[in-house]
Amino acid sequence: MLGRHSFKLPRLTNMCVAYSTAAAEASVEQLYNRPKLTSTDYRTAENNTKQHSAVHEGKFYTLSPEQKKQLFSGGGLPRQYEQQIKTFTEACLMVRPTSLELLNYIRNTDFTRPVVRYVLYGENGVGKTLTMAHVLHYGLQNNFVLVHVPWVPNWMKRPKETVNATTQEGFIDLPFDAAAWLVHFKTQNANLLTQLQLKTSKDYVWTKREATPAGSTLLELVEHGIARIKFASETIAALLSELKQHANDDKCKIMVAIDGFNAFFHPETRILGDNKQRITPDRVTLTQPFLDITNYNWKNGVCVLTVDKIGMTEGYMDSYLPRYLLGKEGFEHLDPFVPLHVDNYSDKEFASCIQYYLDRNWIQKTPEGFDEQLKYLSNKNPYTLMRLTRSL
Amino acid sequence: MSLLTRLLERNLRNSGAGARRLYSNHAEEESSATKHEFADEEFRVLNLRSTSQATQQKRKVFKKEPVQPPRHQKMATDQDWSAVWPGPRTFQPSVVPLPLRQGYTEKGAPPPSKFANAELMKIPNFLHLTPPAIRQQCEALKKFCTPWPKGLETLENCEKRFPIEIKSTDYCHALPTIRNPEARRVTLNIKLSDLKFDAHAKDKFLRLVGDRYNPNTGILTIVADRCPLRKQNYDYAMYLLTACYHESFVTESWESSKSEADMEYYSFERNKSKQSAEAIINWGQPVEEAKKLNADHGFAQSVEQLINEGENVYNLGKYKEEVLKLLNISK
Repeated sequence: MLGRHSFKLPRLTNMCVAYSTAAAEASVEQLYNRPKLTSTDYRTAENNTKQHSAVHEGKFYTLSPEQKKQLFSGGGLPRQYEQQIKTFTEACLMVRPTSLELLNYIRNTDFTRPVVRYVLYGENGVGKTLTMAHVLHYGLQNNFVLVHVPWVPNWMKRPKETVNATTQEGFIDLPFDAAAWLVHFKTQNANLLTQLQLKTSKDYVWTKREATPAGSTLLELVEHGIARIKFASETIAALLSELKQHANDDKCKIMVAIDGFNAFFHPETRILGDNKQRITPDRVTLTQPFLDITNYNWKNGVCVLTVDKIGMTEGYMDSYLPRYLLGKEGFEHLDPFVPLHVDNYSDKEFASCIQYYLDRNWIQKTPEGFDEQLKYLSNKNPYTLMRLTRSL
Repeated sequence: MSLLTRLLERNLRNSGAGARRLYSNHAEEESSATKHEFADEEFRVLNLRSTSQATQQKRKVFKKEPVQPPRHQKMATDQDWSAVWPGPRTFQPSVVPLPLRQGYTEKGAPPPSKFANAELMKIPNFLHLTPPAIRQQCEALKKFCTPWPKGLETLENCEKRFPIEIKSTDYCHALPTIRNPEARRVTLNIKLSDLKFDAHAKDKFLRLVGDRYNPNTGILTIVADRCPLRKQNYDYAMYLLTACYHESFVTESWESSKSEADMEYYSFERNKSKQSAEAIINWGQPVEEAKKLNADHGFAQSVEQLINEGENVYNLGKYKEEVLKLLNISK
């Protein structure tokens, strides 16, 4: 076992090499001298996001498997994190200060006022998406209709299929992606929509024979879009405008959560148009409805958007700050928005995370000072820490 | 060769009769002229070349001049140094009476002495600008100077009364012509803050002068060198300044078509941000121009700062604060 230890650790750092050779003998016992863990230090049993406050900062709360399935079965968690959830056999989210701040804003929101746009920004791997996941959970628990786009760049960078739009000249349709989003919307909101019984306000005529008459429920509209993939994009446009109208009529509350929102304002997509030229995002039929719903001209809603460097392509990734990523157009579209900086772990959060990893037996080798080493190696960046601890 | 000659001669002597035919005419004359020299010698030299001895120049023996001892050894200690070293000049070890050493050596060895020392020749020296030399020159120049004008004692006063600074260069050299084409060049400097502008005129003026204005120092520089004489160039520079200044106050009819993209800086007033901010503030209110609330000045400033100065943590933080205030979101 000692041999394995001294073989595995040097991959981490030189400090580690020095340690493992010099103090190897002494550390054999310490390796298994696991620190005593008090679960209340890093866990909280408070699963109701409404009750989360500064008391719970830096602690992990558990998402029930049903809720996780409902919220994120169509995406919304980073893939690495999904794997980790599978390994840990539980979906835990840390209560981050940014999400607390955001939840606080949402709780204090005056829903008779126009929607407030919150923009999460930060370096790679600091937890923008997971902060959004936390907020989404809040939305689920507080009966918000969730309009959640897991990752916009997927549409702009690697769409499943592209078709020329039939109704709008010169536009590109992404029928499969649109239908997949409708499925995602349905899994997230089916329960709530059956309760609310929201009706369409006007007739939607798709073809001569197909139509969704006024007064049918929104679920019917969604199901039609899923069944008839050809009209999925138009269904999304119809659905979002209907939702907006219902929210304006105080019939429901909507939480718009769009990850990688800056992809809507990227100078170009990877979608090729008719003459094999890359088209701009505003020529994609999906763009307009989501820009409409992030506009300020409605109420009873809240918009949580993230801007992400990796949503851009080479040459546009110089900064993680929102004005740069959104560009002039995007900034004008969102202004005035509330920028929220997601930062690396604080010392307290870092300690809590290490304890959680120990609790899950994710970190098994605990020589003296291992957490300090990890702190320096990862710079307290959550993603880097997750990657580093894979081999421990 | 000499062996061959001897053999030949011996044969000739033996055969007697055929000898005359072999000699060329010239050689015959010569041999007759020098006959008495070889009379008592056993062998005579056969010279087959037609060139005369006289044309063959003797190689000059190069006679090296004896090296004089360094000049500084003869120098008096109270000599006038500025006479020895009157102008800028490369270092001369024999003239400078200083035991200078300079250069890199291996550890322990002293630096090379001043003789044949390239290091000392490379660097510029100021041996012609010794304090006595400067004093001497100042004394010589004094008789051309006038007293300093009253009221210009401080630099601020000078700048205030003479905002325009003119620079030109005089060249002095010993050539058949005393003209230097560079002397015609005139540089005019003026601080932009010394000119009085309104917003439009300033914008137009800056566009007219282009890169002649340095925004970091705030100084406008006009260089005139297109005329052959300095006086003409000076007049031209002054003309340019005057013409640009007055032209900048003229508003052309097409200037009203300047669009947002042509603006040099972001202004909250003319942008969409103002519209959306005010639409949000006045949400749900009946549309009345008189009662309309205007966006907070602080918010306007923070947006302008964010875009004009560029994004940074401070500007974003300020923007966030102002937005929270504008939208009335409580923490």
